[in-house]
Amino acid sequence: MTPGTDNHELFENLRLELRRGSLVLAVLAALRKEHYGYTLRKTLSERGMAIDEGTLYPLLRRLESHGLLVSEWREEDKRNKRFYKLSADGKEMLKQLLTEWQGINSSLNGML
Amino acid sequence: MDLVDSYVKAVAKALPEAQREDIVGELSEDIRSEMEDRQKELGRPLTEEEQEGLLRQRGNPLLLAARYRQDQRSVALGRQIIGPVLFPFYIKVLSFNLGLTFLVVAIIFTALAISGQKVGFNDIVSTCVLQLFIQLTVVTLIFALVERHLTKHPERWHVKGMGGKFRLDLNIERDIQLRIGHNIREVSRFESVSIIVACAVALGWMTGVQNFPVLILGPAAAFLKLAPIWYQIYFPIAALTALEIVRASINLVRPDWVRFRAYYGVFVQAAGLVIVYFLIKAGSWVEAANSGASGAVNLARTVEIINQVFLYALVGTAVFSGVMTLIRVVRLVRQPHGHNGSASVGARAKEGN
Repeated sequence: MTPGTDNHELFENLRLELRRGSLVLAVLAALRKEHYGYTLRKTLSERGMAIDEGTLYPLLRRLESHGLLVSEWREEDKRNKRFYKLSADGKEMLKQLLTEWQGINSSLNGML
Repeated sequence: MDLVDSYVKAVAKALPEAQREDIVGELSEDIRSEMEDRQKELGRPLTEEEQEGLLRQRGNPLLLAARYRQDQRSVALGRQIIGPVLFPFYIKVLSFNLGLTFLVVAIIFTALAISGQKVGFNDIVSTCVLQLFIQLTVVTLIFALVERHLTKHPERWHVKGMGGKFRLDLNIERDIQLRIGHNIREVSRFESVSIIVACAVALGWMTGVQNFPVLILGPAAAFLKLAPIWYQIYFPIAALTALEIVRASINLVRPDWVRFRAYYGVFVQAAGLVIVYFLIKAGSWVEAANSGASGAVNLARTVEIINQVFLYALVGTAVFSGVMTLIRVVRLVRQPHGHNGSASVGARAKEGN
């Protein structure tokens, strides 16, 4: 393995780590409006936060199990779809996380 | 079954049962929505190749399913040798093997205890530790090989052969089910490697037991020995095992050589049945190592109990084996002519599995 490949792998790992925390915030923010999985994925992708389904759906489940999201199965266009939206706890959590995010952002801006 | 169903089914097999239905419904919906979107963009239905392409982008179904699992345990010796993807299967196989082994050990020691033989605590512990070591080593080795394959070739799940036929190289459960249930037309290389390893280990173990009965009898080998029938049937069993190694080696090189597989399956099953018949006919499977020794009455009682357990186990095996042979024969008879390795591309695509 060359140093170039090592650096690229390291960058990928660090990039993924950086994105991981932001994705939770992005998903919570997007779910202020009700979405089902595919439209949520599209919305995030259109906003520059592309996420594959292997990451999104397990994340949705985790957030729901923590009580931050509520979901329901409903028929739309003759197909059963699972719709998600923020719960009351989720709204409160999003508010707190956004404050934290803005704090981190302004600190980083001051350093960079 | 269409390609989406095949893919989702492959994912479902590796999902935790409690969440399976929910995840499968959502995943299936996501894939179909994406395909519909793509169709709208193109203004025409997607071709089979395009559908395959979209599914391929989603990655190996086994790896996708693993991301839904909250259980992310793995086995590591310095570096990870069995990852979270295979860990649940590893635990299942290990538990089954160890359960079966300890059951045999428990029967032997119970028989010894009932018949008044002296059973030391150290004997029980050393036998259990030996069996644990053997099972742990063999099962871990096999799974580590599979993990290595999965890590090196995560893309090896995709369309193989002609006709857009999906085959998941690493889907153990499905491979086994299909092997029993249908006349599959291509043997996964993973299955072939597993069979070669398992048969080689079994062959080595059987040969070892011939010279060192302690491997199966534990400390009871001091009072007991294997009956002559085991030495008489060693060669037929070894020949069948070697034959299976040859068959798996051929399929490793040529996974599509399956023309006579159904006939071969019936032959192996029937041969196994014949071996079980001769075993039952023998009537005695363990004997006293030294009938003139003190405590001969107790020893005779031990032998009687163990032989009784062997009889029940062999009759159970014979019934199971008989039913399986019958099922295979019925399938072979009902199978339409020409329904073999050279089946049409269209038929394969339609089957989708």
